[in-house]
Amino acid sequence: MNAYGSTVNELIDQFAKLPGIGKKSAERIAYHFLRCSREEAFALADAIRQVKLKIHACPNCFNLTEDKLCQICADPRRDPRILCVVEQPRDLLALEAAGAFQGMYHVLQGRIAPLEGIGPEQLTIDQLVNRIKRDQVRELIMATNPTLEGDGTSLYISNVLEGTGVKITRLARGIASGSVLEFANKEMLADAMRGRQSF
Amino acid sequence: MSTEKTEALVIRLADWSESSKVVTLFSSDFGKLAAVAKGAKRLKSAFESALDLLTICNIVLIRKSSGGLDILTEAKLQKRFTARHGSLESLYAGYYLAELLDSLTELDDPHPDLYSEALKSLDRFAGDGPLELAVLRWELVLLEEIGQLPMLEGCADCGRPVAPDIWFDFSVGHGGLICPDCHPEADHARHIQPGTLAILNQLLTGQEAAWQRLVVSAPQQRELRRIMTPTICHVLGKRPKMMGYLKFMNP
Ligand SMILES: [Zn+2]
Ligand SMILES: [Zn+2]
Repeated sequence: MNAYGSTVNELIDQFAKLPGIGKKSAERIAYHFLRCSREEAFALADAIRQVKLKIHACPNCFNLTEDKLCQICADPRRDPRILCVVEQPRDLLALEAAGAFQGMYHVLQGRIAPLEGIGPEQLTIDQLVNRIKRDQVRELIMATNPTLEGDGTSLYISNVLEGTGVKITRLARGIASGSVLEFANKEMLADAMRGRQSF
Repeated sequence: MSTEKTEALVIRLADWSESSKVVTLFSSDFGKLAAVAKGAKRLKSAFESALDLLTICNIVLIRKSSGGLDILTEAKLQKRFTARHGSLESLYAGYYLAELLDSLTELDDPHPDLYSEALKSLDRFAGDGPLELAVLRWELVLLEEIGQLPMLEGCADCGRPVAPDIWFDFSVGHGGLICPDCHPEADHARHIQPGTLAILNQLLTGQEAAWQRLVVSAPQQRELRRIMTPTICHVLGKRPKMMGYLKFMNP
């Protein structure tokens, strides 16, 4: 069963680990790189290397960036006193594409999922609390996924912030509970952002 | 391979691929099931966002005979678990129920009574009765159903029944209560009050309306957990993840 030799098999195995890529597709992609020019192949290898070397979490909001601060944190037109809290950078991108929000974001880097061993201390909640005090944030918009764990994470944060006086809202339910934010369309996300309500 | 319909509670969700999930369900007809839900992460899937932790769904699935994962083809939402307003403990009690079902039941081992008790327990966790008692009732019924309930009616060694004038000790290692005659060396300070045992008995066999009205003192609550917490840890072979999140379990 070793038709390609171990070097090629290693490449196929690496491609097969990518999301949405099965064994057959992995073989096709590997075969493409066997035929293409060295320059083309090295350009991809280099692009992957550069991403891992340069991209890091923004120290302010934990969005991904290759600059010191992310584009949103560096933008002086954004209102630092309204924060939208999301689980993942992907959710931030989806909300930005909807274009209904002029404040800033805070990326939690996940959700509280005790059954999977993910507790609040593994997220960026402490940093969020510090940010709220430092920037005198007046409104926090909870945009965690509308799932039991996403809602639970928002509830945890709202409990932590009790007594701080910050207004806590959450996205309106234009999005069906139990689904994933990443797959919602722009209209639904824009509606949800406009129709947010008190937590 | 056969196509089956049943009602089930979602007790675990894991990503399977970019768009699919592996769902662990506790079903009324087949006990615990593990099934792939293809396309479950898309909004317009056959599951219509019914697959969230602790939802109750009507499901259709293709059962694999070879021991592989079943394939979920349909899930219609019946009911979503909604924790008490603002209460993390109520939410965490729901997670705890899912954790115990997942770790203490076997695949394809039907427990229809346990299934209906799980749904009733979730209603109690979401309702406004005493949460500690609802959780304890769930633990007791689960242990009884899987044949792991410790001896609570009398001494696990000599069989001497519980009596108001004798103070029993509790030992996980001995499988339940132990009387002072069998274990005269036992520390008297650790003895279980008869009233605490009466609460356990009421929870297990009494009418719901009766035990919902029970008033449990702080020392009794400590004793109840001194019996149940080590028992659950022993049966599970480890400490459940959710125990650290439920404050009343660690009095
Ligand atoms: Zn930033
Ligand atoms: Zn005895």
